[in-house]
Amino acid sequence: MLSIKDLLVSFGKKQILRGIDLSLERGECLAIIGESGAGKTTLGLSIMGLAGGSATGEISFQGKNLLALSPEELRQLRGREMAMVFQNVEDALDPVQRIEGQIAEAIAVHRSISARSAREAALQHLLFVGLDSEKARMYPHQLSGGERQRVLIAMALVNDPDLLILDEPTASLDALTKADMVRLFRSSILGRVCLVITHDISLAADLADKMAVLYAGRIVEMGSVQDILRTPRHPYTRGLIRSYPSMNATKDLQGIPGRMDHGLSGCPFHERCTQSIDICSRLVPPPQEKDGRTIACHRGGIVPLLEVEGISLNFDSYSALSDVSLTLYEGETLALVGESGSGKTTLSKVIMGIYNADKGAIVLEGQRVSKWDGAFYSRVQMVFQNPRESVSHRMNVLEAVLEPLQVQNLGSPEERIRMAKEVLDQVELPNDDDFLRRYPHELSGGEVQRVAIARAMVLRPKLLIADEPTSALDPSVQAKILKLLLNLQEKTGLAIIFITHDIALARKVSDQIAVMREGRIVEMGRANEILAEPRHHYTRLLVNCAGGRSEGNGGGLHPAEDSLAIRRFC
Amino acid sequence: MHIDPLAEIRQDPMARMGLFILAAISLMALFAPLLSSYSPNDYTGKIFSPPDMDHPLGTDSVGQDIWVRLLYGARTSLIVAGAVAIISSTLSLLIGATAALIGGFYERFCMRTIDAITSLPSIVVMILVAAYLRPSLMLLILLISALSWPTGARIVRSQVLSLKERAHITAARTFGAGKRHIITTHILPELSPIITSMMMMDARRAVFMEAGLAFLGVSDPLVISWGKMMHQAMAFTYLDVWKWWLVPTGFALSATLIGISFLSFSLEAAMDPRLRKGNVRL
Repeated sequence: MLSIKDLLVSFGKKQILRGIDLSLERGECLAIIGESGAGKTTLGLSIMGLAGGSATGEISFQGKNLLALSPEELRQLRGREMAMVFQNVEDALDPVQRIEGQIAEAIAVHRSISARSAREAALQHLLFVGLDSEKARMYPHQLSGGERQRVLIAMALVNDPDLLILDEPTASLDALTKADMVRLFRSSILGRVCLVITHDISLAADLADKMAVLYAGRIVEMGSVQDILRTPRHPYTRGLIRSYPSMNATKDLQGIPGRMDHGLSGCPFHERCTQSIDICSRLVPPPQEKDGRTIACHRGGIVPLLEVEGISLNFDSYSALSDVSLTLYEGETLALVGESGSGKTTLSKVIMGIYNADKGAIVLEGQRVSKWDGAFYSRVQMVFQNPRESVSHRMNVLEAVLEPLQVQNLGSPEERIRMAKEVLDQVELPNDDDFLRRYPHELSGGEVQRVAIARAMVLRPKLLIADEPTSALDPSVQAKILKLLLNLQEKTGLAIIFITHDIALARKVSDQIAVMREGRIVEMGRANEILAEPRHHYTRLLVNCAGGRSEGNGGGLHPAEDSLAIRRFC
Repeated sequence: MHIDPLAEIRQDPMARMGLFILAAISLMALFAPLLSSYSPNDYTGKIFSPPDMDHPLGTDSVGQDIWVRLLYGARTSLIVAGAVAIISSTLSLLIGATAALIGGFYERFCMRTIDAITSLPSIVVMILVAAYLRPSLMLLILLISALSWPTGARIVRSQVLSLKERAHITAARTFGAGKRHIITTHILPELSPIITSMMMMDARRAVFMEAGLAFLGVSDPLVISWGKMMHQAMAFTYLDVWKWWLVPTGFALSATLIGISFLSFSLEAAMDPRLRKGNVRL
């Protein structure tokens, strides 16, 4: 019913929308999300014919191309066939008219109707949005924000439009009023085409069934709301979702580095994207549809960085790993949790090539790793469990951080020192000469751990395996180190395999959790889902123990074994 | 845990004592021509003369000055000690480290060879081989080295095996480091105290073996050796001369051995945490 093809809108020389394609049928509700300045409101206004500026392309609504209509024809449609609830509740109402009058006027404009029946219709609509006749007689300034919002909704609905555009409809409302309004919106969007323009992801999830992510005037991802929220495939979408304080998310908030820039050539997001490649800065990625999801990304969305395929490893007759498979995406954290001896560290050592697997394959960035050489180690690094042992006691801080650069033969000696100082700064360690000359035994546990992280990070890996990086540290230092890792992830798109036995810790840092036991992954999934509804009894046990509840043996599949685990964990 | 044994023993009185003794003997050997007016092969014409101004330790059965022969004998001992220490510890290091690093058949081959050599009765083998090939200083050095490297190689191998599993070496490997980087920056520095003490051990053994073989008559006839001097002196125990001939030579030999021992004891104590005095820095 509404379809937009290649819509370009520019104000003067400034292009705001650069080729929007979408189509909606009656009954569908599309949420448009994105940062401020992405062009969301401009899109809504363009459909209404209110955007100003120059628009090219096609907006076809009920078979008519809106861009080709005359202003008068558009005016006829506005308010009757399509209506918009504006962002700014304060300015949209006339301060010197009673609200019933304003609504009656909206009806009278489009229908030849007596003043009296217009007023009656207005009262009815106000009642529908929950305002009685007493409120109807008031002036806008006498109403609360929520009530004014209801008036606007009533005004938009009076002529029963086919297309309803809601622009940030709940931006300034408190949570309870918002919940009320969401109920009202739900009933009022039935049977219409609806666009919800918002940066409030929970509102989008409540109202819409489809979602389009707008960035710098282009749609970068579009698909069903549930799918997008559960598994965002475009890096920008993931960034938006990560920065939104959702009640379901367990991981700490993370932002998107950089600022939106409208004038970029190539993919609009490439400067802020952590996985951009050469082509991203040259060509605009065409939208591609796959499994009901449209993504505009040269790399086809967030790339799987590491795939572990069916790894098995036996030490003599003891099976340390059996058939372990997992996938880690660029910029995400996978927490490997499980008790000691469950094979977590062994798995990480197989990935690092310290042990050779008996069966299975390690695939890095789509290529099967056949030999572990310098090129591999410049992309994958590991922080070992005990930093005091992993840094040679004969090396001072500078030598320790320079070592990887020397091994990889990167840069001249001066550049190496500069890089070492930079990375020390990154891990929030001092980089003055006095500190650089210190030996590991002269540093605190947290400092040595950060030196170990600096050693790994100085090679700018894409994947970091952190093996119990904080097990020996007190909580405040632990918090700093975790923050540090997450910040590096935010800035550089670092993927992290986080090995821990502490599920509460895993919860705060991970996108995915894989639970290991006796060399197998018993359960794996999104962190919030695993924690909210653990399926495997062992996971349930871990989650319960971490929450301080040791009762119940998780379905009692193996009571004896479980009680052992309880003793070990609780 | 940061321990640098070589730096620590500088403070140890035992090590200082050992160094002092060795330095004294080395100086005697080095400046031998200045410390005596005779040449070791001069015949003075007087036999069995007691100590006097001319001959501080008298003369021997053929009229040679004992003092100058003692000085030149120190040269032989020290040359043998130094050469054997270098050759033997190099062999130990090379074979022990490569066995640990390469492993497999090569390692088994090396270890069985070591077992075989250590099980030989070294004195008997050396007497027979030296007798067969005609004893010379070079041959002695090579023989002693050939029979003493296996002990060191075993120690080096076990050290390298345990070093190889240390986290900082694993970490270096995960930076993409090759064997060469790991050996030069991680393994050799860690081995240096062990190599030093191994060299001391080899030197001590070499001095003792050389003297012992010479005492038994297995030595180059042209070389002046303490062992040979004692052998000759022993033939005249029925005369009083042995006091000036046997005792000073035996004393010089013992002093050399004690000097080396003191140094190596002190080094061992610094390296082994269980032997460290006032062990607080761990």
